[in-house]
Amino acid sequence: MDIFTLFLWIGTLLFLIISFIKNKKKTKHALKMAFGMGKGMLGQILSIILLIGLILTLLPPQNIVKYVGSQSLIWATIISGAFGTITLIPAFIAFPLVGTLVEAGISIVPAVAFLTTLTMVGIVTFPLEKSEFGLKFTIIRNSLSFIFAIIIALIMGVII
Amino acid sequence: MIILKKLRNNLFFVLIFILYIILFIYKYNMGITALKNSVYYIREMLIIMPVIFILTALLDMWVPKEKILKYLGKEAGQKGILLSFILGSVSAGPIYAAFPICTMLYRKGASIRNLVIILSSWAVIKIPMLLNEMKFLGPKFMIVRWLLTIMAIIIFSWLTAKIIKDKDLPNIKKIESGLSLNKNACIGCKLCIKKYPEIFDMKNKKAYIKKLSENEDIDIIKLNEAIDFCPVKAITK
Repeated sequence: MDIFTLFLWIGTLLFLIISFIKNKKKTKHALKMAFGMGKGMLGQILSIILLIGLILTLLPPQNIVKYVGSQSLIWATIISGAFGTITLIPAFIAFPLVGTLVEAGISIVPAVAFLTTLTMVGIVTFPLEKSEFGLKFTIIRNSLSFIFAIIIALIMGVII
Repeated sequence: MIILKKLRNNLFFVLIFILYIILFIYKYNMGITALKNSVYYIREMLIIMPVIFILTALLDMWVPKEKILKYLGKEAGQKGILLSFILGSVSAGPIYAAFPICTMLYRKGASIRNLVIILSSWAVIKIPMLLNEMKFLGPKFMIVRWLLTIMAIIIFSWLTAKIIKDKDLPNIKKIESGLSLNKNACIGCKLCIKKYPEIFDMKNKKAYIKKLSENEDIDIIKLNEAIDFCPVKAITK
């Protein structure tokens, strides 16, 4: 558990205790509401997680990195950006991976595209985002994030 | 018929289940690896989601609409943008952890632009992630990418708010009178509809608030009854 998650837990538990002291009935309502929300989202989150497990098995990131390394710059950027959109990869796996990519002498442009789309654009989370915010919002947010991830990558290629 | 409907509502899950079965039949070892790969994410979910749901519900209960509207609404301006960046950056967990919080904030008056800022910064500019990035790719790389990302979010959140209007977010009821229904919490028991059929109705197994005409008087006693009867307290006013 990283320190931010820990703080979140401590803060929320303190909040819960204060809430309970101030108003028992309201707090019980809140807990029921939280439980209901969890029940509503659990199935979809589980589906997302199982899908990520599947994708990481069928398309191991190490292989993608190898493949990207042998492509031209433009293709490498688009492929690594696109791979980043498919799945959610935790930072502790992603950064060493990108680190080896850069050390191997491959341009940082694809690396940056990958890093940015990795967390911000989500094809696996698309159904969940859609049911929360609607189709139009989800499409616009994800496509703009993708476009800007590529732009950021290109600008970084020029600066660094 | 009921089975078909259930299958349709859980189409995503059913599809993934079938994919796993196929994988297990043809490539048993890969199936095991896929499940093992999922374990990390399941742990991550179990660590973060309970606290997110409790926090969302508590904030929903205690923070009045006016406050959210004032600090994160359309009128909040630059302060609202800054606050959204801070909220997203100090958060924990993957992007889907931001969804319940964001729908709650939106129902209470946060603007679409600030919603996009919270979601995006929740995803990319988390502090533990930045530290990791600095370790592996160096401080210069991290700072430049961080600055560019913030600029990008400022621009595309503005663009999103230009394209997306309140009516495009149909699943979240935002009613000026203050009545709102938390679709995520609703378990579809229909008690509210029994209590006050003029206001509540069902859609996709969830209750929703029907459009109220302006001069329609709300029967407060009936409404309060509906609110009290909801077993998951999804209705608030």
